[in-house]
Amino acid sequence: MVPHGIVQIIEERCKGCGFCVEFCPRGVLVISQHTNAKGYHPPEIIESTICADCGLCALLCPDFAIYVERSETSLEKKIEPDTRKKFKS
Amino acid sequence: MPREDTINGERLKLSGYEPTDQSDWVTGLHPMDEMLRGERLPHIWCQGCGLGTALTTFISALQWLEKNQKWDLDKVAIVSGIGCTGRVAGYIRLDSFHTTHGRAIPFATGLKLAKPELNVVVFSGDGDIAGIGGNHFIHAARRNIDINVICVNNFNYGMTGGQVGPTTPHGARAVTTQYGNFEYPFNLPYLAAAGGASFMARWTVLHARRLEWTLRQAMAHRGFSFVEIIAPCSTSYARWNPEGQGLDPQKLRRRGLEVMKHYQKVGKIAHHTHPKDATITVDGNGLITEIIEGVFIDDPKPDFQAAIEQMAHSAKEKWIAAKKTLDERLQLPGRTDYVPRTEVQLGGFGGQGIMSAGNIIGQAATIYDKLRASLTQSYGPEARGGAAGSQVVIASDPIHHPHLIEPTSMIIMSQEAYAKYVVNLSAGGILFIDDGLVRLPRNHRQDIETFGISATQIAEDLGNSRAANTVMLGFWTAIGGVVSKPAMIQSLTDSVPPKTIEVNLKSFEAGYRKGLRIKGRQ
Repeated sequence: MVPHGIVQIIEERCKGCGFCVEFCPRGVLVISQHTNAKGYHPPEIIESTICADCGLCALLCPDFAIYVERSETSLEKKIEPDTRKKFKS
Repeated sequence: MPREDTINGERLKLSGYEPTDQSDWVTGLHPMDEMLRGERLPHIWCQGCGLGTALTTFISALQWLEKNQKWDLDKVAIVSGIGCTGRVAGYIRLDSFHTTHGRAIPFATGLKLAKPELNVVVFSGDGDIAGIGGNHFIHAARRNIDINVICVNNFNYGMTGGQVGPTTPHGARAVTTQYGNFEYPFNLPYLAAAGGASFMARWTVLHARRLEWTLRQAMAHRGFSFVEIIAPCSTSYARWNPEGQGLDPQKLRRRGLEVMKHYQKVGKIAHHTHPKDATITVDGNGLITEIIEGVFIDDPKPDFQAAIEQMAHSAKEKWIAAKKTLDERLQLPGRTDYVPRTEVQLGGFGGQGIMSAGNIIGQAATIYDKLRASLTQSYGPEARGGAAGSQVVIASDPIHHPHLIEPTSMIIMSQEAYAKYVVNLSAGGILFIDDGLVRLPRNHRQDIETFGISATQIAEDLGNSRAANTVMLGFWTAIGGVVSKPAMIQSLTDSVPPKTIEVNLKSFEAGYRKGLRIKGRQ
């Protein structure tokens, strides 16, 4: 069984570096169109059902603006391939 | 919190310090917030800077150690120097210390030696550790002191505007080397290894998970552990160099990310590489083409504290053995009569045994005659041939001033020493000279008694010219009579090398007999 995570974003801390979006192994996040109070584009969850709670986004985020909580549900072992590609042009 | 006391039921604030409102310091928004000083956030690090990630992995490693290894985080101290990375000490909610530029490692060394139970972590930048504090770095590595040095390397002096630094790759551009850096950079793990560190690793911030594992390992390691973290400097270094897409305005806000993507391409994990080969390769334009990463050396050699304990242990054993021989040493009854303060000046050239002669007199007086004595020495920088003198003070009472005030006898074994010391001899004093070496001038002082013995000649005849000082001592003992003969003989036996005891005793006897004969004639 693969754990399922729920990504939590603290938008006001974000500086929009894009690390979490770029390096998420499952493509859960994209850069959003709206801005936060500082004028940066925070990330946005586009596919919440496939997050495997690896916590890489929380580890890479330089601004302590994102973390993952473990969901009570769990994921199937296999996910659709290329979800990552789907949301990234 | 300020200490509060109660006098007559009134509460008094002793320090007058009003604590600030701390309610918003721990926001609790993020699982790492308990380790951060909320009042100082957001931090100053630019968008796309790798330092935040370095701090995140460090906190994550600490949290893991607290949870799984039962670490007490009150026993962790963070020391930082100056620079962007130097601000880590200010952001982390632990005992932390923001020091002067380059001096993070000396402060950490002091902290560790004063409180060995602390886990001391130095968190600083490449300029602070390898540039300004380079000497401290190699010497801490040499001592293998048990501190953990985390050096965030962003290839330039970022805070001051991106000047070239000790780790800027050859050919890379910085704000002060616009046509490429002509210097060659340090390979920091190799520098640490050459210094003698026992743990060294390198990771880019992109490899955050592996970096976290290594940080756990490094903090638990006993000895000098060094972790180099390669981090993008999105504002300064990436602006001038190809991996940050140069000055491309389209990428302006994403330079840090471009550098991270580049690290993904060029990072090569090779554990246990020899640090010499663990290089950061660049091409002609200063573009990084390969970064060797991994844990290079993890050597459990004894650290500084263990070495101190080991040395103290063996010193204790040596001392016990030495004390045993001292306790088993022959005991003489000692002198019971009163000896007033008597000052003896010995002079000659280096190599004649002037110092050891003074030592023998002092030892005879203190240990075997149970008097008190002090010895001071004066000599030039040369070990052999220069002027040498030693001054002995002997008395029954405690000696409050170790230097000579009124020397009453002198043993002079060279012409230079004659010229230098004899003027100081008090009137009525006794002068002992080696008349083979000292020629008395025409204006020799008439207010002193002078006795001569050709000590060097006698010692040579007996088989060892280096025993000349012993002949003089025998001569001095017979005529001066401050120290008893049995005491001198015992002291002599203790002091000279075992092989030469016989010839020294013969020389002493020869000098003593000559002295007695002169004394009998008077």
